[in-house]
Amino acid sequence: MERAENISLTAWPGARSTDHARLSARLFAAILVASACLLAMLAGWLPLQVSIFTVFLFAGPHNWFELRYFLIRLPARFGRSRNFFAVAFAGIFTLTIAYLAMPALYYAKVWSGANWPDAIATWNTLLLLWLGALVIMRSKQSSRRDWFWTLPVVFTLCALNWLAPQLFSLAIVYVHPLVALWFLDRHLRRMRPEWLRAYHRCLILVPLLIAGMLWQLGRTSSLQDDNGLFWRITQHAGADILPSVSSHVLVSLHVFLEMLHYGVWIIALPLIGATGAVWNVSAIPLARRRGGFPRLIAAVLIFGLFVVALLWFGFSVNYPAMRDVYFAVAIAHVLAEAPFLLRMI
Amino acid sequence: MKRTVVLCTTVLLLIGSAIYAFGDIARPKVTPTATEGKTVLYTSMTVKPDAKASEARLQISQGTLQSIAREAANMSSDQSMTQRVMHSSARTIMAGLFMFLAVSFAGVWFARSSQRRNSKAVAAAILLATVFGLATVIVRANAGPPGYVRWQGLPQNLKDGKTTGGGVDIQIVPGDESTITLIVPLRKTQNPGEE
Repeated sequence: MERAENISLTAWPGARSTDHARLSARLFAAILVASACLLAMLAGWLPLQVSIFTVFLFAGPHNWFELRYFLIRLPARFGRSRNFFAVAFAGIFTLTIAYLAMPALYYAKVWSGANWPDAIATWNTLLLLWLGALVIMRSKQSSRRDWFWTLPVVFTLCALNWLAPQLFSLAIVYVHPLVALWFLDRHLRRMRPEWLRAYHRCLILVPLLIAGMLWQLGRTSSLQDDNGLFWRITQHAGADILPSVSSHVLVSLHVFLEMLHYGVWIIALPLIGATGAVWNVSAIPLARRRGGFPRLIAAVLIFGLFVVALLWFGFSVNYPAMRDVYFAVAIAHVLAEAPFLLRMI
Repeated sequence: MKRTVVLCTTVLLLIGSAIYAFGDIARPKVTPTATEGKTVLYTSMTVKPDAKASEARLQISQGTLQSIAREAANMSSDQSMTQRVMHSSARTIMAGLFMFLAVSFAGVWFARSSQRRNSKAVAAAILLATVFGLATVIVRANAGPPGYVRWQGLPQNLKDGKTTGGGVDIQIVPGDESTITLIVPLRKTQNPGEE
């Protein structure tokens, strides 16, 4: 009798937790599917308006969340990863400065913009070689990893980049938002493994939605980009590089991917606990360690909030100019994602 | 690490020496070439002699004309992508260099990985490459004769009053010249006994 009692006591909590996990995974999947469908619908319906609204509202906050995430993932002491982080930070700094210098020199009339595709191709090559170096350095940190195959891939991408530099840059614009989905995958694997299967199934929806958007909007006429702002948005989505594709498709697709990107960084990752409590500075290793810098970290985060507010103010005063500035400076966060993603793999 | 540095230095020296060597070669003389246009459409054309006609006529179907107009409207740049690549020697050289490096490193990876357990993946990659290679060969083998072959009989056909047909690239050339030019690819053929 006593044994029967024990069985019932031990069996029930397990069954309940399994049911709970299944339910939560289903709820998670349902939210993902509903959100993705809603975002695709909005992006296809009013691409320009949604683009303006989304960038205005979420661009700054998502960068702040990324900054906080990077601080959390930065080890208190680099140890064996010292060289890896040295190359990572040197690359982020150099490539960002070079990226900003190109339009700055052009607008300052120091450079005529001649050989612009060559300049872009050179920058893209440096980016790819930097990524290749990071991958090899990371693979050498563990004997289980043999990522030598990435070198031919990197060189092939370099070759393709030199054949069509502007198309390659456009590909970065479209691929970058998808990197957030990879971050989410790595964190689910660690923190919510019971949701991982549902997440992978939901990921199939992304190419299906993209195919649906291409099919539905492929025959629509291009968007009226008769004012400066709309023209900038269509150019950013690649309307001048792909003139035979309707700009409606390009802008819709870009907005959809951007919204997914913002959604992952602002909602999904904090929700599963990947970034810790937003105001908890002690979750950051650099602040928590003995002899750490809690005040400096807090100051950096508060300064980040100030920059977000400044960005909103800038958008309110001159949206087109601020959008240009933002997308130029934002290259830093695109670059910063690479080393931190590699650290997760 | 040391080996990598030595290897990279050697490669850079090699590239540097190549550039230096090319610096000593005299610049080729630029020969004036005819104005090149951008091909917007490939279609077929028939040259038909008509003894009763008083004026030469160029007949284009409405659908073809619309296609030409649509493609011409999409000409945002002066050159097509292929032309841009062909005319930018620096970029072509860089692309070739990186392609060479890609193939070389792929070879090293293949040699290394063939000694390890992931031979299945390597076998799959080789199989895939072979399939693509064979497909390419097959497609090439089935490609028709070059376009100029169809036009070889044009002079004789014109004499005989027969129709000649073949492929034609419709090109839009810069400028405001009102004359439409038809360039026919005729190769000089020597009759037996002629010198």
